[in-house]
Amino acid sequence: MDGLLRTDNATVLLGISLGVVYLLKSYLTPGHLVHPLTLGKQSDVERVRQKGESAVYKNYGWSTGIGMDAQLLYRPDKDVKSVVDLAKLDADVTRTLWSSKISNADLKTRVRALGSGFVREAHLNPEESNVLLLLNDSLDFLISDLALASHNIPSFTISSLSLLSAVLDNHPPSAIICHIHFLTHVLELVAENHEFSHHTIIVVGEGDLPDAVRKVPVKVLWLADLERKGAKGEPVEAKPTNPETVFSVAFYPGPNNELRAASLTHMNLTAGVTAVRRQLPLVNLAKEDAVVSSHSLATPYGRAIMYTALYEGASFSTSDSTAVFQDGETHHFLAIRSAGDDIVKSAGSPNPTILFLTNPELARLSSAILAKAKESFLFWMAWRHKLHALQQGYLSKDSAWDAQVFATARLATLKQASSSLRAIVAAGGGPIEAAAMTPSRIALSMPLIFAHAHPLVAGPVFSSHPLDLQDFPAKAGEAQDKAHVGPPAVNVEAKLAGVDDAAVEGGASPVGEVVVRGPSVAVPLGSDIEQNSWLPLGEKAVVQPNGTFKVLS
Amino acid sequence: MPFGIDLGAPINTALLLANIYFAQGIIFPKVSPPSVTPTDYKQSYSWMPKSHPPTVIFETFTPKTLAKYDGRDGGRVLLAIKGMVFDVTAGKSFYGPDGPYGNFAGRDASRGMAKQSFDVDMLTPLDQPLDKLEGLSNSEIDNMNGWIDFFSHKYLVCGKLVENTD
Repeated sequence: MDGLLRTDNATVLLGISLGVVYLLKSYLTPGHLVHPLTLGKQSDVERVRQKGESAVYKNYGWSTGIGMDAQLLYRPDKDVKSVVDLAKLDADVTRTLWSSKISNADLKTRVRALGSGFVREAHLNPEESNVLLLLNDSLDFLISDLALASHNIPSFTISSLSLLSAVLDNHPPSAIICHIHFLTHVLELVAENHEFSHHTIIVVGEGDLPDAVRKVPVKVLWLADLERKGAKGEPVEAKPTNPETVFSVAFYPGPNNELRAASLTHMNLTAGVTAVRRQLPLVNLAKEDAVVSSHSLATPYGRAIMYTALYEGASFSTSDSTAVFQDGETHHFLAIRSAGDDIVKSAGSPNPTILFLTNPELARLSSAILAKAKESFLFWMAWRHKLHALQQGYLSKDSAWDAQVFATARLATLKQASSSLRAIVAAGGGPIEAAAMTPSRIALSMPLIFAHAHPLVAGPVFSSHPLDLQDFPAKAGEAQDKAHVGPPAVNVEAKLAGVDDAAVEGGASPVGEVVVRGPSVAVPLGSDIEQNSWLPLGEKAVVQPNGTFKVLS
Repeated sequence: MPFGIDLGAPINTALLLANIYFAQGIIFPKVSPPSVTPTDYKQSYSWMPKSHPPTVIFETFTPKTLAKYDGRDGGRVLLAIKGMVFDVTAGKSFYGPDGPYGNFAGRDASRGMAKQSFDVDMLTPLDQPLDKLEGLSNSEIDNMNGWIDFFSHKYLVCGKLVENTD
């Protein structure tokens, strides 16, 4: 008996060392950033559903506090009634917009001057005239947009060049604002169409007008002239705007490249800004931030992102990939370029802190970072440790493994943006694979929000929780499982139509067409659907038991 | 005593193996995901509830089909006010067949709610058209609407009541 239970000094030492190692293991196992219980119920689900439809899913923010004051779903603050209020031009803020440093006072003066110029010199009539904005995202776009909105002159935007002739045929505008490089192309199209005597073309930029101008009887004005002349003399007073009036029509291509349009009212945009602000609940967008967006201002979501940045007093810029108009050529933007180039800004601009990327850009960025990180011989150990922490629900940019391996990779890819970036929102450009979520999270190690946007909704339709780090095994038979995009945005109600009732009663997840309702959902142009009634988006999705959606098409 | 690990001693061996096991857990942490999605948050951070929250399909009832839901066979207890059908199974002790207001189970209770009466003569027979609520004073209509508010907040609206088709 004694021989079996022999103890000596070594036993004591081993016992102490066991205690130390065990405590170390518990200490080093990280805790979750968000309790997994809350991730099991991310939407508020109605208990009754119509036949052939799923239940109505709402965001929890709807019914906790914010829902009590319904006004807050429509606008970020009760005094913000129109798009111009969103810009908050009376606040004392200086920020960088597209690499020009400008204060709100200057911005207000320029918007007032241009507005007066539009009405007095270009003879645009409030509520009657329409202006087609054929500008790439720039400060000129913003100032023109605000000037037109302040005088109730609806603007038209197109998100794809192929729509230009269709728009000129079906919805001829009173005036067109375009850049001088694009003028020849516009003149050709205007000449092909008939009513060009009504067209006024307002040119942005400097240089000599092309000869084609003389051949086509249109009136050509310079934007800079309009602003200068508008600044002299009495400013034209802007009438107060009703939030329900249309301030912009965003044309976008349908599934067969046919012309479709979203009629955006002031209320759609203020509600969109409310939703975008709530996409970043723990990140707290503030005036020290610099937002870079890859969503063109010609889309409602892109506009909502810009106005959110303006509302918060942050700097704003768009990446080059949003350019629709390029020197008269008709090719689209998505050029193959080095992953970080779009994001890295030229010297003199603030380093970006929050990015709104598209899904393909996120994929390119994270694979570039991981490819660079693999060059280190510690990569596999670092990956394993970060993956282990991620599976417990923890992610940090500043861990020891990051300092060794991932920080250098991020620095090489993102250059000076790598230390300033705080959060990334990925939406649009096609769904992302579920298997790509974890590698992206590890590569970036910062709050990463997967969202879904639609050309008819100002603001996100679905948006995931920033600290949701869950990863699920791929289901057998579903080779390409898509990533989930979280619960509906804070002021959007969503349900799925065309659902198989028998399957759902049997416990399967509902699959059907997404139908949404809410103040940020715009009415399609020319339809008799009313604001705040159910609108099908033409996309298929599935909802999971924890209330998150996966968009399938 | 010489300082060496006497592996012949089982306790030492056991402690040594335990040390190696935990140390290996620190240096090479386990990262293989489970093959089946966990259904409990205590099992794993990445978990998914086993089933969706229960939902009820919004149905259209006629007086004859609604009458089946009087709770006598242990099923749901439904009652209708002003065309809206409420699922009052949670209040079975009141509205169920043995409760004080059991007369309303599976029936149109509009007139009874308006006149604050639970008598059987408030109910319309099943084969007759729906009660058009004639002859009610304004205060009775207000009373009925008050009851509708109460029921909407407390119970689920799970259907609507329409005329018999046969």
